Amino acid sequence: MTAYAARPAIPAGRIRLVNLRYRSLLTARWRVLWIALIFSLVAAAAVLRIAYLGFAGHAPSKSSLAEQLLPPRGEITDRNGLPLARAFPAYALWYAPTAMGDGGSPLVRSPQDVATDLKAIFPEISESETAERLASGRPGYLRRRVLPEDANQVQSIGEIALQIPRETDRHYPQGSMASHVLGYVAADDHGRVGMEAVLDKQLRDPALRSEPVPLSIDMRVQGALEDELRRGMLATNAIGAAGIVLDVDTGEVMGLASLPEFDPNKIDEEGAKNMMNRVTNQVYELGSTFKPLTIAAGIDAGVIRDFSKVWNARPVKIGKRILADFEDKGAGLNIPQALAYSSNTVTMRVADQLGAENLRRVLMELGMHERPYIELPARGMPLWPGEKWSRITNMTVSYGHGLSVTPLHLASAYAAMVNGGIWRPATLHKLEAGDAPRGKRVFKASTSSRMRQLLRMISMYGTGRSADADGYRVGGKTGSAEKVYRGRYSKTKLISSFAAAFPMDRPRYVIVTVLDEPRGTMASSFQRTAAFNAAPIVGRLVPRIGPILGVRPDSTRDVDISDLRFLVEGRK
Amino acid sequence: MIVSGSRLRQMGWLAVLMICVGLYLALSFRVHAVKSEVLLAEREIVALERETLVLETEFQTRASQRQLANWNTVEFGYEAPRPDQYFESERQLASLGLPQAPGAPNPIRVARADANAPAQDREMVSPITGQPITLASATVEKEPVTDFAEAFGDMLIEASPIRAAQARTGAPASVTAGDSAE
Repeated sequence: MTAYAARPAIPAGRIRLVNLRYRSLLTARWRVLWIALIFSLVAAAAVLRIAYLGFAGHAPSKSSLAEQLLPPRGEITDRNGLPLARAFPAYALWYAPTAMGDGGSPLVRSPQDVATDLKAIFPEISESETAERLASGRPGYLRRRVLPEDANQVQSIGEIALQIPRETDRHYPQGSMASHVLGYVAADDHGRVGMEAVLDKQLRDPALRSEPVPLSIDMRVQGALEDELRRGMLATNAIGAAGIVLDVDTGEVMGLASLPEFDPNKIDEEGAKNMMNRVTNQVYELGSTFKPLTIAAGIDAGVIRDFSKVWNARPVKIGKRILADFEDKGAGLNIPQALAYSSNTVTMRVADQLGAENLRRVLMELGMHERPYIELPARGMPLWPGEKWSRITNMTVSYGHGLSVTPLHLASAYAAMVNGGIWRPATLHKLEAGDAPRGKRVFKASTSSRMRQLLRMISMYGTGRSADADGYRVGGKTGSAEKVYRGRYSKTKLISSFAAAFPMDRPRYVIVTVLDEPRGTMASSFQRTAAFNAAPIVGRLVPRIGPILGVRPDSTRDVDISDLRFLVEGRK
Repeated sequence: MIVSGSRLRQMGWLAVLMICVGLYLALSFRVHAVKSEVLLAEREIVALERETLVLETEFQTRASQRQLANWNTVEFGYEAPRPDQYFESERQLASLGLPQAPGAPNPIRVARADANAPAQDREMVSPITGQPITLASATVEKEPVTDFAEAFGDMLIEASPIRAAQARTGAPASVTAGDSAE
């Protein structure tokens, strides 16, 4: 017992042990706590990271592919998806003297040897100049564009200082075709002249440029239009030609050509001279092609009710001036005859009865007093006779003189005249079905159907016979106007034009062709008027583009002219 | 025993940890491998897309509208279709088969065998070998329709690259009309 009593209640060794155990436990708990803390921190960080990726981040690998395939500038296509302008990888030959990086000679071999090798690849360069250039040690382009196979040969020379950087070019696979519609891209990477300038923002926007922009142009139609216009221009020695094919129901431009053209792939001084767009920018007095518009305004206003009525066709005297027909057509003509034989005097008398204000209002509703409605930046301001028209202004405008408009104005007006009377702005954007603008009514539907008959009769019996393509029911009016040269009408310089629509029983497309200063050549039977140069272009063009545009030739169909036919045939 | 048991457990944990680390490493290597494969594939796609673009553009440049028109003028001479090359409907197509005038011969004639001619006169030769085909009808009286079917069947057999055994219709006299029309 004493032995027990002598001992201390708790031995010192055990206290130490308890103390140790307590401290170890404490340490262990701390460690567990730390580890738990670290784990929870890591977990929290992971959760935060996931949340961040979910909300703000994007998958890096996915975007890299899309980014690499994103063109530096968007593509422009025609209405069927054929590329008209695209960013195209190209190679340049750049001399980088510091590429070796050892501070010594920039080339492994002598500049002369390298120049000889380069000469073998590019025969047109000067060997001595290139050698001098390499020896001088200045960095710079040796050549701006190199073909891929030439680039491979340059690589095999084995000089590190000859670098082949990849650059992007704006390439137009169709060459100079539709150059006025497309325009080009200048060295500052901004578009110029055509749709390249109009769509510049959209084509450069990273969010939008992956999608190609479709235009309303059909490349096959454009090709045929340019081909026929060029042929007509060369055959008549004209200094220029313009042509447009317009959808009468939507206002879409199927083809728009201005010759001579420029090459958007290679802009030089020669091309820069041809950048003026003759369809949308150049204004002309388009002459007799205005007569159907005057007649339509006359029918619309009730001035012309009876088509068999014979109008006086003798020269018109106003004050001292006498205005006569190109050729004397006899004492009197009815309206179908007046259009078929292109009588100025009858048209003037119709306009006189109609009144200046009425004709002016109709032409203003057709947009003839303002710039044409189209997206292109090059839009010419018409030479409009102003507010108050005198009697003589009214009469001269009625047959297309004293008022200068662009061929596009005329095409839009003809579209309104034949499509049932609705005027719509022209557009170069492809419209989906049902997207066509509502437009505004200019002529009554009954007037429009009369005009279809009359236009068809001009190309059956009158000056437009050379445009009457077999089976396509073309109807149209010729126009030959003397050009204003140094403030006076020139006797030798003409603007000959033809404005047509087809098929006349249900018009789908309007074509306007204009030749600038055609000459009388063998091809045009030594004549300079539109019936011998501008109209045959349409006659050849329509069979080429008709089937492409879904118009089938059919000799058994035509617009019904049985109520007017005898008025012209009786005279013959 | 207890001490060694806990040691064993510790070693077990360590082994599990090592395995986990090993698996984790293997997995991350695999992930990286797949990632770089994807990257390579992407690069290949980009390169191929660029090549497609170049080739497509080259093709379109070479086959531009003007080039095609030039070739057509010099070489092919294709012209726009004329209205008489189109048909309005099946009815118009069928009307081509009608006689031009009452009593005029039918514009479309169908080839047919003359049933009244004597059998010897229409000895058929194979268009392939030039050998005369002996028709079974030479010995057996049969319908002209079956004659034609047999002759046609022979011709098909001649022309066929796969020869069926005993397929020749006219060879054995015992072969019946039904068998021969193979």
